[in-house]
Order: sequence, then C-alpha cells, then structure tokens
Amino acid sequence: MDTDVTMTDAAQSTLSPVSHAMSPPSFEKSAINDTQSYNELDRWIEMLMDCKQLSELDVKRLCDMAREILVEESNVQPVKCPVTVCGDIHGQFHDLMELFKIGGPNPDTNYLFMGDYVDRGYYSVETVTLLVAMKIRHPSRLTILRGNHESRQITQVYGFYDECLRKYGNPNVWKYFTDLFDYLPLTALIENQIFCLHGGLSPSIDSLDNIRALDRIQEVPHEGPMCDLLWSDPDDRCGWGISPRGAGYTFGQDISEAFNHKNGLSLVARAHQLVMEGYNWSQDQQVVTIFSAPNYCYRCGNQAAIMEIDENLKYTFLQFDPCPRAGEPSVSRRTPDYFL
Amino acid sequence: MESSVPSDELYPIAVLIDELKHDDVSLRLAAIERLSTIALALGPERTRSELIPFLEESLDDEDEVLTVLAEQLGNFVLYVGGNQYAHVLLPPLESFAGVEEPLVRDKAVESLNKIADEMTEVQVEEYYLPLVKNLTTADWFTSKVSVTGLYSSVYQKVGAESRAGLRQLFGQLVYDDAPMVRRAAATHLTGLVSHIDKDTVVTDVVPFFLYLAQDDQDSVRLLTVDVLIATAGVLGPDLVREHLLEQLKKLFADKSWRVRYMVADRFEQLAVTVAAGDEVVLKTHFVPAMVRLLKDSEAEVRTVIAKQVPGFCQLVDRESVLDEILPCIEDLVNDPSQHVRAALATKISGLAPILGKDLTIKYLLPMFLQMLKDEFPEVRLNIICKLEQVNNVIGIDLLSQSLLPAITQLAQDKQWRVRLAIIEYIPLLASQLGMEFFDTQLRDLCMTWLHDNVYSIRDAATENLKNLTKVFGVAWSKATIIPKVIEAGANPNYLYRMTACVAATTLAPVVTIDVIKDDLLPFLNNLVGDPIPNIRFSVARSYQTVQKLLLEKAAESEYDSDAMDASTPAPTEEDTKAKEERVAEVKEIIRNVIVPNLEKLKEDEDVDVRFFANKTLQAIG
Repeated sequence: MDTDVTMTDAAQSTLSPVSHAMSPPSFEKSAINDTQSYNELDRWIEMLMDCKQLSELDVKRLCDMAREILVEESNVQPVKCPVTVCGDIHGQFHDLMELFKIGGPNPDTNYLFMGDYVDRGYYSVETVTLLVAMKIRHPSRLTILRGNHESRQITQVYGFYDECLRKYGNPNVWKYFTDLFDYLPLTALIENQIFCLHGGLSPSIDSLDNIRALDRIQEVPHEGPMCDLLWSDPDDRCGWGISPRGAGYTFGQDISEAFNHKNGLSLVARAHQLVMEGYNWSQDQQVVTIFSAPNYCYRCGNQAAIMEIDENLKYTFLQFDPCPRAGEPSVSRRTPDYFL
Repeated sequence: MESSVPSDELYPIAVLIDELKHDDVSLRLAAIERLSTIALALGPERTRSELIPFLEESLDDEDEVLTVLAEQLGNFVLYVGGNQYAHVLLPPLESFAGVEEPLVRDKAVESLNKIADEMTEVQVEEYYLPLVKNLTTADWFTSKVSVTGLYSSVYQKVGAESRAGLRQLFGQLVYDDAPMVRRAAATHLTGLVSHIDKDTVVTDVVPFFLYLAQDDQDSVRLLTVDVLIATAGVLGPDLVREHLLEQLKKLFADKSWRVRYMVADRFEQLAVTVAAGDEVVLKTHFVPAMVRLLKDSEAEVRTVIAKQVPGFCQLVDRESVLDEILPCIEDLVNDPSQHVRAALATKISGLAPILGKDLTIKYLLPMFLQMLKDEFPEVRLNIICKLEQVNNVIGIDLLSQSLLPAITQLAQDKQWRVRLAIIEYIPLLASQLGMEFFDTQLRDLCMTWLHDNVYSIRDAATENLKNLTKVFGVAWSKATIIPKVIEAGANPNYLYRMTACVAATTLAPVVTIDVIKDDLLPFLNNLVGDPIPNIRFSVARSYQTVQKLLLEKAAESEYDSDAMDASTPAPTEEDTKAKEERVAEVKEIIRNVIVPNLEKLKEDEDVDVRFFANKTLQAIG
C-alpha cells in the first residue's frame, strides 16, 4: 500500500552534496553532560509535547548535540530488553502522543523506533524534533533508526521540506535535520536475537558484520546494501524479487530463514509497509511488520500497533486507534463553507 | 526636511522606506509591519501628505502585503494627527475594500470600522457616508460585499435623516442580483437591526427579512434564521408573531436540509425569543416543528435537533414532552446514524431533572441501558460521562442496581477511553455505594486496572486507588489495597512493576506516617535491587516524594489539624515535644534507609538511575 518510489531523476539538481566538514566547535563537545543542558532539554521536551516547535537556533543546537550521540552508535545498534518497538510515525504527532498514552512515557518505558518520522502527516517538524530531543535526554532509553523517509530526496517530495519552509520561512531546519539523518543507525539488535530495521534484507548482505562494515554517514543511496535495508519488503514468493517501489528488493521466506539461521536470530522486526491491523506476521513468523501511524495519512482507516518486549523477551502487541481530534466535525457532512 | 534631526538617525527610516519598495516580498512585508515606526519618524504632517499617498499607489502589490497594510491602517489614526485627520485614511481602505482577495477586504472592513469609531458625526457625514455610498453602488460585487460590514458602525454615528438614507442604500444590497451580496447583507443585517428602533424595524427591516427568507438560494435563506432571532430581540414577542411567525414556519419545513439544519441548531433560542413563554404558540407551532425535525430525513438535522431536546423541553408543558417528544426520542435511541445517537447520548440525561424521579425510571432508564450497550463507543462514553445528572434525580441505589452490570461490562470495554471514563466515575460511585457494597461488587475490578495493558489505564488506576483511600480511609487501604499493590510489584513485566511503584508513591500523601514506614517504604526499598534500570530510577524519583511527605506529615501531623481548632488552646509543650520526636524519627528513617539506598543508586551502572538518584539526594540536601 505504501506508494513511495525513489526519485532517481527528480530533485537531483536541488540536492546539495553532503557536507561532513561542519564539525562542531570543541566547547560543545561535552555540552550534554551538565545540569543546565538537562534542564534546557527538559524544557524543550515539555514544549514539544505541547506540539510547539523550537526556534531555528535551538533546532540547530539540538541537531549538533544529537550528532555527537548518534555518531557513536553502531550500524547494528545493540539494544537491551525490555523495550517497546514502534514502526512508522510519519508526522502524525497527535497519534505519537496517543502511542505514549498506550505504551507509557519515555524514559519510564524504553522505546525503539524504526524510522519514518517525517513526511505525509502535518506535524513532521514537531514529531522528529521531539524524538531527537528525547534521544539526547535519555540515550539509553530510546533508540531511533533511519527510515527511507529520513533522506534529503524523499523529504523534498513527501512534505517535510515544505513543512519546514512553511513553519520556519526558510529551509535551514530541513537542512539541519536531513544532515543529522545521515548519522542515524540503520539497524538495531535486541539481545542478539531480534533484528530491527526499517525496510528489509539485502542480497548484498549475509551477516550482521556486513552491515557493521558499511559507511552509513551519507545520503541514502539509490541502490546497494544501505538502500536495501531501508527499502526492501518481505514477499510471498521465494528468493529475491524486483521491488515495485523502484528501490530495494522483495525477499522470500527462504531468504529470511537463512539470514536468521546464519546470524542466530529469532525474528526480523521491520516497519515500512501499511498493515491494516498495525502489525502483521509473515514468512512463518520469521518476519513481523509493525506500523505505528493509525489512520495513515488521515484516511487509510488502519489500526496502529507497537510491540512490547519484556525482560524475558516475551512480546505483546498493543493496537491503537487515532487519537480523538478536538473540533473535528462529528458529522460526515456539514454545510460547506464555500456556500457561506 | 526637519534639519534638527541628525541624518544618521533618519538613515534607518530611509532604509525602511526603501524596503517598502523592495523587490523581495518578505522585505516589503517586514517594512509594512513596521509602518508605524516610519510614520512616527515622519511626523503626522508628512505621514498625511507623503506616506499615505505613497501607500495608495502600492495597491497592486501582493495580497499578502495588502492584508498587512489594510490591518495596519486601522491603527493609524494616531499617526496621521488624531481624530480630526482620520478621514485621510479612508481612500486607501476604500480601494482595499474592493479587491478580489477576501482576506484583504476583511482586514479593510475591520480597519474601516475601527476608524469609524474614532470619527465625529460631522466627519462621518462628510467623509464616511460618501464612501459607503460609493461602495454600495459599485459595479463589482466585491465592494458591495465589503460594505455590508460597515453599515452597523456607521448607522450608530449619524442622525435620523442619514439613517433613512442608509436603510434605503442597504435595501439595494438586500435586493442585489448577486447571491454573494445578498448573503453578506443577510449576515450583517443581524448586527444592524439591533441599532434600529422598533417601528422602523417593522416598516423597513421586516420586508428585508421576508425577501431574503424567500430567496431561491438556500445559502441565503439559512442566514435569515439569525436575522429572525436578532429582529425578534428588537420587536418583542407580539410583533414577532404578527410579522415573522408565518415565515418561520416555512423555514421549519424548508425543502433544503441546510436551512432545516440551521433552524434545528437554533431551535431553543427561537422558541425563547419567538414564543416567549406563550404556551399556545409553543404547543401549536414549536412542538410539531420539533417532532418533525426529530424525524427529519437527514441525519445531520436529527443530530443537531437531538442536542436541543432538553433545553426545549424545559420550556413546554410536561404533557407535550411525554406525548409528543419522548416517543420521537425513543426512535432516536435506535437511529441508524451513530452520530445522531452520540449527540443524543450527550444530552438525554438532561431530561432527568425535567421528568422527575418516577418518569425518569419509567422512560429514561430503559433508554440509558440500551445506549450503554450501543455498538459505537462514543455513544457509551457520552452516556457514562453524564450519569451524575441521572444520579441526582433517581438516587444512587436505583442507579447502581440497574447500571452496575452495564458498568462492570464497560469497565472491560475494548476502547481504553471508555474504560478510563468508568475509572474516573468510580470514586463518586464508591462514596455513594458504601464500603460493603463496594468491596463485594467493585473492588476486584479496580485492582484489575493495575494490570491493564494500556499505560493510561494503569496510571488512572493508581490515582483511583488514592481517591478510594480518601473515601474509605487509611485502615481500609492498608488492609485491602496496599497488599495488592505490593503483589503487583512482583510482576515479571517491568511496566507493571513500574505501575506498582507509582501506585505506592501516589498513595503516600493520603496514608499515615506509619503506613509509609511499615508498608510502602519497605516495598520501595525492595525495588532498589530490581534488575531493570527503569524501575531503579523510578524508585529514586519516588524517594524524593516520599521523604518530602514524611517531613511534612511529621511537622503538621494528624493530631494538629484538630488541635489547631479555634476552640482548643494553643499546642501544649507536650504536643510540641511529641512533634519534635516525630520529626526526629522521620529524619532518622530518611538518613538510615532512604539515603543509603540512594547512595547505592548513585553508583549504578545506568546513567539515568544515577541522574535521578543524584537529583533526589540534592533535594534531601
């Protein structure tokens, strides 16, 4: 159902080369460890929980702090249980608040988000800013991975770029975030057993060590292993198939079984695809899809889900509906404004 | 040029003026927003002679800029030299009132009204009336739409002769060919009519209303409902019935659902202003109309009229309610549209005080029970939220007998918000049911919420336990609630242990020092060794609350609240001594139990545990 396609040609001209040159001034290096920073972060998080955006300058500082933390994380970031695993959010800020009402607030509940925080929904800015701020405040309580929408090219087509422009009057905030996205880990590994990532497997990758060897600090490429991890989907057919999305591959049960066996995994948990129940087992329980944006795009009518993994690796799925929206007409048909 | 001002002070102004002409829209916009600064620097005379004419020339700018400019000019009377020069602002605003973009026009009208308020009668007659006339007789509809919004403020300002002229001009707008203009006229007639005296309303405004109410566009007709209400406010009931009732009856039965929606939405208000307590009018005209609207073919109309039922039923005699309206309500309980049922659910309990105890039991209770089982959660939720009104009428005994099964069922509803609504209702229910009844019927249910898989329910459950402790007392809590909380602290899942930890902390303010010391604190101390860091930092946070409460409770303990009573003498030396001992005792607990545990947590391997342990230690000092 997810209709995203890569844009091999589009937006090529507007794409600026990725800059690694902007290393932060040294006095900011340890900026996150003092009480003052904690207080400021707490204040930011409080604002963001009210769906109020930060100032452009604060976003820049936030992204600088986040980069320091994310650059230390592995391409296959180890995560301890217990943890609650979540799928796509797509700028549906109020539904993210609903998610926290269901799963519990961070840091009390540990979370792992598998990408796609931005685009499509109306509050990509607030959503991604909040998640990044939470990540910095409690790095070991929250893990955020990269999704295919955490990319310069995709965000220019599906809404994040326009939203930044609308809310800040210039594209700087978009630039800060998309530069930060290059640092997000690609995958996570819960207790060496549950492998979590946004898209799926890649024909160029046999083992987790292959992933560890990737240089991830770059824009999501159009092809190759890094692209596949963020774009692939499981499929009913065996073996590798061409993905209708134009990027990544489809992979069959044989592939996921072999991958799980070789790497001593019990499960691949991934997001990336709309599933009507919020979660969906496939490939003889080798793979589970989790999607956490209820009523996706405010029209798909799907439920959302999160997967709670407790300290004994026992998992429970919690499904939820969109949060009730204040002021939304309770009646399907109203006197249309344009008549008045 | 004012030579006394050094040129370098004028420089910023020159920049601003340059920016007014800049190619970049955002710069022009910023300059317009600071227009008052420019005007202030130029002084009133040059603002009048140079700035305003300059602004008039910038009329073909972007709508974005014009909107801000139109808004700014409304606050400009001060800058052009005060009231006596206010009229110089009219020409640019007159042009803005005629542009294509509604946002610009709206701001222009807003500003024109502001300026009218500051003008004298003479100024209005001389400058403002010609403007109104120009706009009214303009060729294009945009000016005419705008000008409808000016009549009300001008009308108040001028003398009788000009008023007659204004009414005649307004008539041209009412009878205009373009429906947009007639719509605007209908909208603003509502405000205008309140400034017109009774006799003139009959001769002049009633014909306007009748004409608009028979418009062939339903979008015009629906606006006349508010005109009718406003007109009725001026005329008083007798004249209204003489002149408007026939037309109102036609609106009730209008062939367009959107017009019926409008009358349904204003039904109670219409009944109050038009019938004004006259039982015959209510019975012969309004009750049948209500019945017909309740049976309307469109769900939207039924939804809005359902919300008017209790308000309207207060106005009419009980017989009509029972014989005419209640049967229709019974149908609405089974309405095919969930939105109609949800709307009814929010309001139906309002009928209980009107009907009284016996009739509520006979008629309303069965409807309630049915709606509590509605397949649509919002209907169930709306009913529960309003139960108190029914409770007040029929008493908790009856309510609980008939509703308890429904409540226990809803307490396990699939929708967590329905469960939440029930939880919030529990303390009230508990206080009215009494301990014995509660213990047998509801207590276990309250404990299951601690194990709900939705966080918000678990959280509400802890708050609920606190409220129940307030109702039934500390002894009850210690015997029945706290053991269950401690039991939950052994759950294999950390999220439920977290809930137990929070519950213990939430209960602390409403129990005694002894209970904190003997039950809650040992439980928390146990969690210090929990394998999951989240639990450990949760305990560290709880310690902060608990130590603060211990000190507070020791300093102004239970005995004091009685002793402080005015009739008893001031605390004796013995009391003071006892208090000092209690304070010393809790300080020792803090020092010997809480602090050592925090010191341990301070060295934890997890950074968040260390953070919260340090924070609490700092608070303890």
